[in-house]
Amino acid sequence: MGPVQVLVIAFDAPTFSGEVLAELTKLREAGIVRLIDLLVVSRHRDGTIETLEPPPEVERGLGKLAALVFGQPADEQSGATADAALADAPEGSTWSLADAIPVGSAAAVALIEHLWAAPLSEAIRRAGGTPVEETWLAPGDVEVLEALMAEP
Amino acid sequence: MLLVPKQLLRSGMTGNVPYYGGRFSPAQAYAVSHPPQPPPRPADAKDSSALDALRHLLDTGVLTQDEYDGLVARVPT
Repeated sequence: MGPVQVLVIAFDAPTFSGEVLAELTKLREAGIVRLIDLLVVSRHRDGTIETLEPPPEVERGLGKLAALVFGQPADEQSGATADAALADAPEGSTWSLADAIPVGSAAAVALIEHLWAAPLSEAIRRAGGTPVEETWLAPGDVEVLEALMAEP
Repeated sequence: MLLVPKQLLRSGMTGNVPYYGGRFSPAQAYAVSHPPQPPPRPADAKDSSALDALRHLLDTGVLTQDEYDGLVARVPT
């Protein structure tokens, strides 16, 4: 399986245009990404997170896998939380939906497999490479890059 | 359904890019990209080609016995 990205997108209201799903479908058909699951949640004023029914534009039944990956039902929560296993994790190396979703917002949480990246990761591993940094260029730096690329 | 979020480890797309507050220090980056090499396997004996060469020089009179002994002691094991 290729690397799986988590995209958390906050909305004022949990509605979707079909445009985002259409774009994901195009990428999937091109063998670039695969939408594994989509969870829609709402973060209430008291901080609790509630799962919502997915919008009618998406396949019914979505969200179950993601809910299990990102949390557990409040009524099934055991005394020993999974957090204990991460007690020794370096600061900044963990996250949760509670960190990501603003209070009072709804959010779509997408699990997206990057199909193209698996062969690249394998090639890096075989070459003995070690990824030491991975990030995105800030929009301002992308503009600088674009301008440089446009120069003759 | 009310969901209790779990803490999850961050990772990178191309592999396990460890996060330490989001970044590596230069020293950490160097250490990760240059893992310690295993110590070389100890040789069972001194370099035989060097010893052969010294023996030849001794036999042909180029080296005295004292010089030969001193140089043999300096051949790494």
